[in-house]
Amino acid sequence: MMNTESFSHLWRSTWAICRKDIKLYYAKGPIVVTGVLFPLFLWGAFYIGRGLEPREGLASLITLTIFFTSSSVTPIIAPWETRQRTLEMLLSRPVKVTTILIGDILASTIFGLIFTLPIVLYSIVLGAALSNVLTAIVIITVTVIGFSALGVLFSALPTDTPADVVLLSSAVKLPLVFVSGVLVPLTQLPTWALSIAAASPLTYPTDLLRRLYTGDAFFPESVDIVMLMIFTIMFTVGALKLHEKTLSARLQRR
Amino acid sequence: MSTIEAVDLHKRFGSIPAVNGVSFKVKEGEIFGFLGPNGAGKTTTIRILTGILKPDSGEARIMGYDVHKDPVKARMLTGVVPEEANPYPDLSAWDNLMLVGYLYGLSKHAAGERAARLLKLLDLYEVRGRKARSLSKGMRQKLLVAMALIGEPKVLFLDEPTSGLDVLSARKIRSLILDLKNNGVTILLTTHNVEEAGELCDRISIINGGQIVETGSPDDLMIKSGLYTYISVKFDRPVDPEDAAQFFKDWEHRVQGSRILLICKESAEPVVRVVEYAKARSLSIIDIHTSPPNLEDVFVKIIGG
Repeated sequence: MMNTESFSHLWRSTWAICRKDIKLYYAKGPIVVTGVLFPLFLWGAFYIGRGLEPREGLASLITLTIFFTSSSVTPIIAPWETRQRTLEMLLSRPVKVTTILIGDILASTIFGLIFTLPIVLYSIVLGAALSNVLTAIVIITVTVIGFSALGVLFSALPTDTPADVVLLSSAVKLPLVFVSGVLVPLTQLPTWALSIAAASPLTYPTDLLRRLYTGDAFFPESVDIVMLMIFTIMFTVGALKLHEKTLSARLQRR
Repeated sequence: MSTIEAVDLHKRFGSIPAVNGVSFKVKEGEIFGFLGPNGAGKTTTIRILTGILKPDSGEARIMGYDVHKDPVKARMLTGVVPEEANPYPDLSAWDNLMLVGYLYGLSKHAAGERAARLLKLLDLYEVRGRKARSLSKGMRQKLLVAMALIGEPKVLFLDEPTSGLDVLSARKIRSLILDLKNNGVTILLTTHNVEEAGELCDRISIINGGQIVETGSPDDLMIKSGLYTYISVKFDRPVDPEDAAQFFKDWEHRVQGSRILLICKESAEPVVRVVEYAKARSLSIIDIHTSPPNLEDVFVKIIGG
């Protein structure tokens, strides 16, 4: 059982990594462009001018914002720090790789939540009230954690070139957006596309949030919740395990 | 109990054995040098001992803690200046130190107090607000040393701590290393500066091709190497070459005018014989100079250069 001292050490370490990430990577202008403007334009391109009620697209906008903010920075931290030779400096301190990665996920989660909040507030201004605010908070938080972990999972690629990981994450992320019922509602997707949508982590938070905004959803609520949890756990555990496995190869890069 | 213990460490990268059966023990308060040419396995051994890399087989222990089973406990006792590491270039010297302080579980107050003390000790206090990228190489290296010391470690791993430093900064680090030793800190030091190792280390292991090829104190290594000492003597007048050859027949020698050069494996007895030779022939010794092998010669001989 973990004693108070080791818990306090674990928390201080995780929080220190998180603050370092926010200072070095998140408080930058270009990140705002990637995380906010890109999903906004993507969403606008699909929804504006189609005569839809604002509330119908809000679930998609929130999911897209979470997806592009939470998974935009985490993929580059590990390769960048390998290149800068700061990763080895961190690893030689009394912290586990998992603590460093959880710190990275925490920073990304805070960043994702900060950028999602204005959209939720804006939706209230539009009169598109959520039927259950507490559930929405839980769904958004779990989704942000899951997509942050997805970013960390990409960064397990043992390279010291951030562009390698950006290429990989873009190759996965962009197709996911088009097959997940985010831009085209699941009810309008052909049958063959539905089976692909069912395998996408974006499908379920979008469906859950759509239910909260409009009362309509494609999957039963329990399926959405279970699948969201499965993806979040899978990304988190996968990221932590894969990083431990590729660490040796990563350090050989320097 | 040994403070640092490496037991039959093996590590391969693909088909290349980087470390191949390395074992040694370092006692408390000892400075242990780890010398070897580039690619000999020094940094890989240190990465294993500091828990960054897992060995394929073997054990690494710090004050009894298995580095890979209890990595956090072992590293809480350890400070490291890794060879291939940098402070965060976009964080200030102060923020870099505080970050590491928090990783050691220190409170803001304790980390701040120690950071200020170390920055003053290493002449970095005035530049504490500057980003690490704007510091000189010497300042960055001293910052890395400060980051290694903020946890007040019992064991210190210094991988090339004076590499690229100017004379004054290098001297400052060497003096600090000796102060730490006097305070009971156990230090494992790798350096390419063989003379520095000879000056600082109680014992030295020489590693080559992933294996330790020799271990001992600097004096032991010189004796074990079997290298020669050169004794050059100048008298007040020329000597008889045949007489000198007969007198110094036990050692290889050269006679040239008033000068004799002896080549021998130890210096005490030949020097006594030189004095006897001079007395018996009423010669005055104008100059006598002995050149023992230096540690660099020993290193080159041992690694087969």
